[in-house]
Amino acid sequence: MARNLKFNIFRYNPQDPESTPHMETFSLEETDSLTLFIALNRIREEQDPSLQFDFCCRAGICGSCGMVINGRPGLACHTKTKDLPDEITLLPLPVFQLVGDLSVDTGSWFRELYDTVESWIHTSKTFDPNAQEERMEDAVAEAIYELDRCIECGCCIAACGTARMRPDFLGAAGINKVGRFLIDPRDERTEQDYYEILGTDMGIFGCMGLLACEDVCPKHMPLQNQLGFLRRKMGITALKNFFGK
Amino acid sequence: MSLPLTANHPTLNARRMDGVLDWAQMLTGVGLIAFMWAHMLLVGSVLLSPEIMNSIAAFFENSGMAQVGGPLIFALFLAHFVLAARKIPFRLEGQKTIWEHAKLIHHADTWLWVVQAASAMVILIMGAIHMWAVLSDLPIVALKAAETLQRNKWWLAFYLLLAPLVHVHLGIGLYRIAVKWGFAGRAERRGLKRFATLIVLVSVGISVLTLFRFWFMVA
Ligand code: HEM
Ligand code: SF4
Ligand code: SF4
Ligand code: FES
Repeated sequence: MARNLKFNIFRYNPQDPESTPHMETFSLEETDSLTLFIALNRIREEQDPSLQFDFCCRAGICGSCGMVINGRPGLACHTKTKDLPDEITLLPLPVFQLVGDLSVDTGSWFRELYDTVESWIHTSKTFDPNAQEERMEDAVAEAIYELDRCIECGCCIAACGTARMRPDFLGAAGINKVGRFLIDPRDERTEQDYYEILGTDMGIFGCMGLLACEDVCPKHMPLQNQLGFLRRKMGITALKNFFGK
Repeated sequence: MSLPLTANHPTLNARRMDGVLDWAQMLTGVGLIAFMWAHMLLVGSVLLSPEIMNSIAAFFENSGMAQVGGPLIFALFLAHFVLAARKIPFRLEGQKTIWEHAKLIHHADTWLWVVQAASAMVILIMGAIHMWAVLSDLPIVALKAAETLQRNKWWLAFYLLLAPLVHVHLGIGLYRIAVKWGFAGRAERRGLKRFATLIVLVSVGISVLTLFRFWFMVA
């Protein structure tokens, strides 16, 4: 027997002065291997063409379909309805600016983050297109790659109590991003440079260790380990600075 | 994200204190844990016999450790409060945000933090009352403690509330220190949580038994 699914979906269009935030209910017959991606598209096609939500890759790669699914931030394209109860409540991710309905602007947030943490390799070397590429240890390359897998979906930010209470918090994705450059031998930034970015309550010391980021990250990024490592590292720098002067 | 746009922007200050304060918050927490366990075992010694407890208490008083150590612990307690309070939302706006958030995401560890912050405020008040009551009425004698409890059963209720709250706050703190500072990684998290739960249960057990030992002590 196919289930009849009830969707409670947040509706609000900030562009329209008539619109007020409210929940709207849709029902849909469950089909085989139904994902929220397919379900939302069917609702939009068959029931309400004005429904706004974001998708691109539908394969958990682009990070645009993050939303709050029955209370948990997650990727809609990665979520099968068979893992959910009959009633499914969908909300846009908090923290990020609302575009409309389920669509939020994670792009601007991450853009600003990357400006703040200067998310690029800082090097004094000039690039020589004719030279052979520099070698890197396999283990180092893999460690960097592991931290680079983040798809910037924003789920860890939306799930973080700290990020919700303080808008200047870098969040797990941001802190992890700095950690990625910290282990990159090509980046010439010093311990003090990283401390400048991370060594505050806006960075690693703001994190309260609630680990919601770790528990919701759809890419299973090693956020807990990364946050622990960076807190120790920056903690040691903090002590050095405090007692060294 | 905040960019330094004003001359008094905190990130422009080269000697930032956040890291040192975070250490201090953790270390005052650890200090209080050590104290609470010692305290639990000393008072709990009444379960073995009231004489043992009395002689331990007498040792601490005669050597002056209770008179000096008591206020020191109180200072540690206040320091921990001031440090940890940096993380507590005192404005209604922040409280509403974290409450809505915890209700929304059904996430155990987020609730643990809410419990920790809420229990903290109760412990602050009740702990201060307790310390005042005990330290302003030395010496500590098992029979006197029993009398206090038996004469006014509100004291029993008071301690039956305070003791579990302290142990729950302490257990969550222990767990969070280990994950925050990376002493426990992803693989150890589950085991650590079980371990912390066990410690809380055993500690609450000992504390409640101790209280009932006083309650049923015959004068
Ligand atoms: C016997 C009493 C107490 C013990 C054993 C204790 C223990 C701890 C420990 C071990 C932590 C973890 C520290 C960390 O995460 O760095 C902690 C955190 C905390 N404590 Fe206490 N504490 C006590 C009393 C209090 C009091 C009176 C307050 C009053 C406000 C308080 C407020 C907090 C708060 C808000 C946190 C969370 C801090 C955060 O989120 O980072 N505690 N406590
Ligand atoms: S760390 Fe995980 S949850 Fe956070 S943005 Fe990256 S992929 Fe998404
Ligand atoms: S561990 Fe830190 S970054 Fe992750 S959800 Fe908690 S407070 Fe946010
Ligand atoms: S649509 Fe790209 S991650 Fe879901």
